[in-house]
Amino acid sequence: MKKTFHPLTWWAGAIAAAIAVSLADSIAFNLAVVGGMSFLVYRSNKFVIDKTSWSGGLWFALKISVIIIAIRTFIGIAIGVPVPGTTLFELPILHLPDWMAGIRVGGAITQERLFFALSEGIQIATLICIFAAATSLTSPHRLLRQMPVFIYEFGVALVIATSVLPQLVTSASRIKTAQKMRGIERRGWKGVALPLLEESLARSLDLAAAMDSRGYGYSRQRSRYRREKIASSDLTVIAGALALIPLSLVVFA
Amino acid sequence: MITFDNVSLIYPHSLRTIFEDLSFTIEEGEMVLVIGGTGSGKSSLLRLINGLVPHHTGGILAGDVTVDGISTSLTKPGGLAHLIGIVGQNPAHGFVTDTVEEELVFGMEALNFAPDVMRKRVEEILDLLSLAHLRNRSISTLSGGEQQRVAIGSALVLHPKVLVLDEPTSALDPIAAEEVLSILHRLVHDLGLTVVISEHKLERVIGFADRIISISADGKAEIDIPEEILKRSPIAPPIVHLARALNLDSVGTSVREVRRMTSHLRDFTPLASAEQKDELQTVVAIEKLSHHYGEKVALRDISITFKAGEITAVMGRNGAGKSTLFKSIVGFHNPTSGTVLVAGTRPSDLSGRERLSTVGYIPQEPSDLLIHASVEKECSASDQDNGLEDGSTFAFLKRLTPTINGQAHPRDLSEGQRLSLVLALILCSAPDVLIMDEPTRGLDYQAKALLVDTLISYARNLGKCVLIATHDVELVAEVADRVVFVADGDIVADGPTIDVLLSSPAFAPQVAKVMSPAPWLTVKEALRGIASATGAESSE
Repeated sequence: MKKTFHPLTWWAGAIAAAIAVSLADSIAFNLAVVGGMSFLVYRSNKFVIDKTSWSGGLWFALKISVIIIAIRTFIGIAIGVPVPGTTLFELPILHLPDWMAGIRVGGAITQERLFFALSEGIQIATLICIFAAATSLTSPHRLLRQMPVFIYEFGVALVIATSVLPQLVTSASRIKTAQKMRGIERRGWKGVALPLLEESLARSLDLAAAMDSRGYGYSRQRSRYRREKIASSDLTVIAGALALIPLSLVVFA
Repeated sequence: MITFDNVSLIYPHSLRTIFEDLSFTIEEGEMVLVIGGTGSGKSSLLRLINGLVPHHTGGILAGDVTVDGISTSLTKPGGLAHLIGIVGQNPAHGFVTDTVEEELVFGMEALNFAPDVMRKRVEEILDLLSLAHLRNRSISTLSGGEQQRVAIGSALVLHPKVLVLDEPTSALDPIAAEEVLSILHRLVHDLGLTVVISEHKLERVIGFADRIISISADGKAEIDIPEEILKRSPIAPPIVHLARALNLDSVGTSVREVRRMTSHLRDFTPLASAEQKDELQTVVAIEKLSHHYGEKVALRDISITFKAGEITAVMGRNGAGKSTLFKSIVGFHNPTSGTVLVAGTRPSDLSGRERLSTVGYIPQEPSDLLIHASVEKECSASDQDNGLEDGSTFAFLKRLTPTINGQAHPRDLSEGQRLSLVLALILCSAPDVLIMDEPTRGLDYQAKALLVDTLISYARNLGKCVLIATHDVELVAEVADRVVFVADGDIVADGPTIDVLLSSPAFAPQVAKVMSPAPWLTVKEALRGIASATGAESSE
């Protein structure tokens, strides 16, 4: 069997990277981290023929990120406290009732305000991408198997969520195609959401039943077929990620 | 081994009792088949055995179910895991881990087996189910048959005394189904395992069953040997219908038996039927079509035409390229190279009403197309989309299934009714090509008969082109004029149904196997053939 990392490795790395990113507050640093993560995912998946449904996780997160940044930027510049600085253009101010004093919709859009909104959007998107990269590098299922048995209910819920989520992505595109073929072209998300919800509910119930009938959580003790060992390569990855924290503090803060 | 003692079951908020006063015993080492129409409670019966019903689903259970002396009303499914292995209708929904080996050990880890025991058991199961070469593969990349074997393996690894399977072959092609069933047969005979199995495609499993439990719509059930049950049951495989139609003294459950019983009917040379077909109009023209997904070649240089008034069945293993071919015809993607023309236009250019009247596509999950809250709303939305008079889709649906309730939510319909609804929605715009992907999954014989009639009348009376992808040879025998066999992105056979099906024993329908060498595929054809042949003899 191919040498694989300990399931905790990439998650520990991701958490360290996330801390570094939230401390740094620098667009360049954020982009560098996402770029590095993407490279790792690309490299580790390039030679894997046997792709699991998780390997697409980062790609999906990148697409979501674009939407998040767009929405965050729009809200950031349109609603909220005015930031003084160079004015780029002005929006008409929407008059709100008295009890909503303190909130302003519209007004002057300054360069600073735009920059601030954009960098906050990128910050959020970066955090999402980091954890998506971690799921692409180790399936959350492997991580869950490290969990102690006493958090049984929690475990079941997590296993179900992590199995159904990637399925949702494939199912959504399948349903959309099918509906396009029926000539339903502009009915938006409602049309997809209904069948999707039904399917994922049914799947979750099936999975819960399957886990139940295979004795999950019945015994207090749980044995391990293969003990996952922490190797030096795992430590290198974690140390590397931890090194990002002081780096972010010194260079980018 | 399994005892049902005056079992009655009712689900809350339901007016109908699922079972009433069921009592029977299943002995150790028996293979029992559960039959019944859709919605008759086959799955509930199977899930009663390990207590998933009512522990997991809710419902009020009266009476007692005991397995190996343990009552399921007192023990939760987890406590029976070492005793009963259960494989659900769709094994892919029950996989907890990512790779084959991890999946096999999942149950053992949960029950705290010692690591060395686990090692031994894993190897044993990998060999028993010939999964050794797949041990490190990710489950999502396996074929349907392989996934089914993994699901069976992960149940068997706990060394259960009872194995319960819900429609284990419904999604499989005939060869993969054969493989799974012969494994089960071996387990019953070698290990004395008790197997309870439900299946719609009786022709596949009937030869393996020791006894049958037949559930009728009113919640009554009887258990008996196959020959007795099949004498009366409306649900029966084609060979039984054949035996009944020929007025044989008894019904046989295997091709061999029925062949012996009917040897006297085969001593004549069947007349060659010289049916000349008119030259038909081409609807779908495909030329040098290739399609790649990244590195993977899904279709390789295919040229083929489909004609109006013709029903073509596309067969082949899962992943052979059937779906890609269909998607190209529907216009879901532009092919990597080559051209596809449907009624003279590129399907990917079609949109709106023009698309609806050119290509009708029913996906594997017909419910993907249903988005409204009631049957009537679905129908009126379709009237609007197609610019039809109000109520015309619903009227069409009523003709298909007169009993359908217009107020019902589409999700509450039975599989058969749901398919009729989708058929009505698609067919009301009278598309030039109707494309169906695996239409018979989960359909009982009654629903299948309705589907057959609808398709035949659509193709013959309206002169439309119909394409179906299916693993169901009996359906192909009933409806198709022509069979195209796809393997590994190539068309490996293309010809009249009779020639293609009879050329391979795995794909020959039961009636054809019994009547061979006479070229009859269905009970109807056989009766007509025998009548005309004997008529010809007596008039000589």
